[in-house]
Amino acid sequence: MNIAKHRLRAVRLLVLVAVMALFAAACSDSSDTTTTVGGSATTATTSGGTEVIKLAVLSECAGAFGDFHGQDMAGVGAAFAEYAGATITNPDDPTEGFTGASIAGVPVELVGIGCGDDTADTAIKETRRLMEQLDGDIMIGPLSGDESIAVANYAKDHPSQTFINGSAGAMDTTLEVQAPNFFRYNSDGAQWNAGTGDVAFNDLGWKTAAVIMDDYSFAWTSGAGFIAEFCAAGGEVISRVFPPLNTTDYSSFAGQLPDPDEVDGYFWVVGGSGTLPALKAFEDAKGPVTPTQHMGNLFWEFAAGSMDPSMEGAYIGGFGTAGDLKLDSVEAHTAIIDKHYDTIPPFGEAGPQAHSGFLVNYYLAAKALIEGLEAVGGNISDDQAALQSALGSLVLAGPYGSTTLDDNRQAIQDQYVRQFVTLDDGTLGLSTVAVIPTVDQTFGGTFAQGSMPSRTVPGCDTRDLAWVGNSISVVDGVPQG
Amino acid sequence: MAALRFVWRARVTAARAAPELGSRRVFTAERVVQVAAIVGLVVAPAFTSDFFVSFVLTQALLLGVVAASLIFLAAYGGMVSLAQTLMFGVTGFVIGNAVTTGGSKGLNLGLDPWIGVILGVGITTVLAFVLGAVASRSTGLYFLMITLTFGVIGFYFFGQVTTFSGFGGVNQVRSPPFIGTPGQFPERLYYVAAVISVVVYLVLRYITRTPFGLALQGIRDDHVRMSSLGYNLWIHRTLAFTLAGFVASIAGVLFIWWNRQIDPASIGIGAILGLLIIAVIGGINRLDGAWVGAIVFVVANNYVRDVPGLNQIGLGEARFNTIIGFIFLFIVLLSPDGLIGIGQRITRSLTPARMHTSRDPGYDSGSGSSEMM
Repeated sequence: MNIAKHRLRAVRLLVLVAVMALFAAACSDSSDTTTTVGGSATTATTSGGTEVIKLAVLSECAGAFGDFHGQDMAGVGAAFAEYAGATITNPDDPTEGFTGASIAGVPVELVGIGCGDDTADTAIKETRRLMEQLDGDIMIGPLSGDESIAVANYAKDHPSQTFINGSAGAMDTTLEVQAPNFFRYNSDGAQWNAGTGDVAFNDLGWKTAAVIMDDYSFAWTSGAGFIAEFCAAGGEVISRVFPPLNTTDYSSFAGQLPDPDEVDGYFWVVGGSGTLPALKAFEDAKGPVTPTQHMGNLFWEFAAGSMDPSMEGAYIGGFGTAGDLKLDSVEAHTAIIDKHYDTIPPFGEAGPQAHSGFLVNYYLAAKALIEGLEAVGGNISDDQAALQSALGSLVLAGPYGSTTLDDNRQAIQDQYVRQFVTLDDGTLGLSTVAVIPTVDQTFGGTFAQGSMPSRTVPGCDTRDLAWVGNSISVVDGVPQG
Repeated sequence: MAALRFVWRARVTAARAAPELGSRRVFTAERVVQVAAIVGLVVAPAFTSDFFVSFVLTQALLLGVVAASLIFLAAYGGMVSLAQTLMFGVTGFVIGNAVTTGGSKGLNLGLDPWIGVILGVGITTVLAFVLGAVASRSTGLYFLMITLTFGVIGFYFFGQVTTFSGFGGVNQVRSPPFIGTPGQFPERLYYVAAVISVVVYLVLRYITRTPFGLALQGIRDDHVRMSSLGYNLWIHRTLAFTLAGFVASIAGVLFIWWNRQIDPASIGIGAILGLLIIAVIGGINRLDGAWVGAIVFVVANNYVRDVPGLNQIGLGEARFNTIIGFIFLFIVLLSPDGLIGIGQRITRSLTPARMHTSRDPGYDSGSGSSEMM
C-alpha cells in the first residue's frame, strides 16, 4: 500500500515537473531562437534586418477547410522550391515545410506554420504567435474570409511587417480595411463570380432570380458578385434568403424561396456540409433542381463528386483557376507541383491537385513575395517600405494569366465560368467555358468602402460593366479570342 | 437544534477555510507561494520577452479572472456555470459596438472607450442578473445545461445578428490611450490585468467569508436546511451569479483591450470548454486554481507544438491539440482537484502533520465535486 502511495506521489511529482518544464521552456522564449518547421533548430541572427528573412504561413489545419492544409503549404513550398532554391522537407507531406530558401543571397527561413480553423479568433491568436513569438517578418495567409478581415486589421497595427493573403475571398479585407501592408493576389468572392450574372441573363434567359446564400461575409461577397452583374445586365433579384452557417435542416429556407414558376432561376451560395442538404431540401419543397434553372458558386465545385449527374451542364462560378485551359503556363504549373511533391494528403497524388484554388492562390502569394523580395534585393531593413512598394506594383505572371493590384492592393485578374461535365467514371467534373477579362473588385463602382456586401448590399441596379457581353468563350480548353 | 448545528458547522468550516485569521503562523508554505506569485507578477516583464508578457501572461491573467468567476460559483455556490464565457463575450461585443468608429461590423457608435467600459460592464451585469434569475431555480446537471444553452445562444446571437457583429466579428476596437495597443506597450495592459487579478482574488475570497458567502456555502451544502432556516435560496444564487457575471465582464474588458477584436468564436463552444478545462486543471475548488489553470492552458496551447521531436512521430503542427488533450487528461486523472491539489499534497508532504489545515472551501473536495455535478 505504501509502495503504491509512494509511486503515485512520484508520478504526481513527475507531472508537476513536466508542467514546470513546459512553463520554463515558454519563459525561455526569446526573440533570437526559433525552431524551423523543417525540423532542424536554427538560430536566426537579427529580426527585421536583411541577414535572414523570417517567413510565416497561416494555413488551416482544423475546421471546414482543414483538409486543404496540405494544398496551401504545397502552393507555398512549390513556389519557394522553384524560384528561391528551397529544399522540400518531405515530398509526401507539404506541411513539413522547406529549408534552404534564399532570395538575392538573403536566406529565407520558414519560422512557423499557423494552424487556423476558419475563425477570426484563432486566426488572430495564430498570427500573433507567428509574428510576435516567432518574430516573422512576412506572413502568407490566411485561407478564409472572416480570418482575413481580422488579419488585415492586425496588419494595420503592424506596419513594419508585410502580409500577403493566402486564399481568403471576403471583400472587406481589402476594400473596407485597406491596410497598406496587406496584399491580395487572388480575387475576392464577388470577382470569382464574374460572368455568372451575364450567363444567367444572356445565355439562360433569366429575367428574375432568387439567391440563397450562407449568412456570413464570404457568402455575402460571393452572392454579391452574381447579384451585381445580373442586375447590371438588366435582371432582377426578387428574393434573397440567408440560412445561418451550420444549418442542418434547410427546409424552412427552401420554403422561403419563390416557386419555380415564379422565378426564372436560383443562384446557390451554400457551402460546407450544407451544399447538398440545401439542394435536397429544395427538391423536397419545390421540385427538381435542374441545370438550366440553378447555378452555384465555387461551393458546388467542392461538392461536384457527390452531386447528381443530372446536373451536367449547370454553370458554376469560378475560384480563380482554370486547370483545363490548354496553355503552356497551365502545363508548366502542373509540372512544377509534380516536380516538387509526390503526394498532398489527404487527397493523394500531387499532380491532379495542382489547380486547386487553395494551392494556386497560396502559390501566387508566395511567388509574388519572392518577386517582391527580388525587386528589393532581399533588403527589408527599411521597415519593409521598399518591399511593400514593390509588391504593390508587381505584374505577377500566374498559371492562367497575369495579375496586377489596384490601389487597395487587391488583385485585378481574369475570371472563369465553369460548367459541370460528366467524367469517365460517371461523376461530375468541371470544364471552363468562358474567360471574363480583367475583373476589378468594385464592379464598376457597385462596391466601395462603406458599402460592403451584406444582406441588403448590393441593391439591384442596372449599370455598365466593362466585361458584360465581352466574355471570351472557351472551346475544348482553348479561349476563342 | 439540527438547524443550529448546521449553521455552526458552516461557520466552523468557513473559519477553517480562512487562512490564519487570528493565527500566529504567518509564514506558511501557502503564504510564501502567494508572496512569490505576486513578486513574480511584478518582475516577470523584466525577465521575459514582450511576446510572453503580452500574449501569454496577459492572456493567462484575464482568462484567470473569468475562470475565477466560474470557480467562485462552482466551489462556493455549487453552481457549475458554462455561461461565464458569454458574460465575458457580451462585454467585449458591447464595447466593440460602442467604441469602433467605422470600418468594422457592428454599430460603430464611436463612443469614448471608458463609456464603452461602463456600458459593457453595466449591460453584462444586468444580463447576468436576468439569466441568473432564470437559471438559479435549477441545480446540478440542469443548471449546467441551462447555462450551456445560454452560452450557445450567445454564440449564435452574435453570429447571426449582423447588426451587432456577424461571424466575422468586430475589429479595430480602441482601448483607452493610457493602455495603448498591446503590441506597442505590452507591460501596460499586463500590469492592469495583474492588479485586477489580485483585486478579484482578494474580493472574491473576502466575499466567501461574509454572511452572504457563508449562506451561499450553506445553500451549496444543504439547500433544504437553509431553506427551512428562512434563507431565500433563489436570491442568494441569483446574486452570486450576478456577481460572477460582473467579474467575468471585467475579464471581458481586459480581453477586448488585449485582442482589439472579438467574434463569436471567442465565446463559442470551444471557448466555453476551454474555460471549464482551465478551472478543472487548475483546481475547481480553489480560487487561485483559476490562474494556475489559465497559465498552464495558455502555455500548453502555445508551446506544446514547438517541442522537438513531435513532428517526427506524427504529432506536429496539425495535431498539437491531441497532445494538449493528453496533458489535460493526465493532470485530471492524476489529481481530480487539479494542479492546486498536487501543490497542496506536496506542501503537506513537506510540512509536519500537526500543521495541516484544510484549504478547501469548507468541504471535502472529492465529495464536493460530485455534489456540484
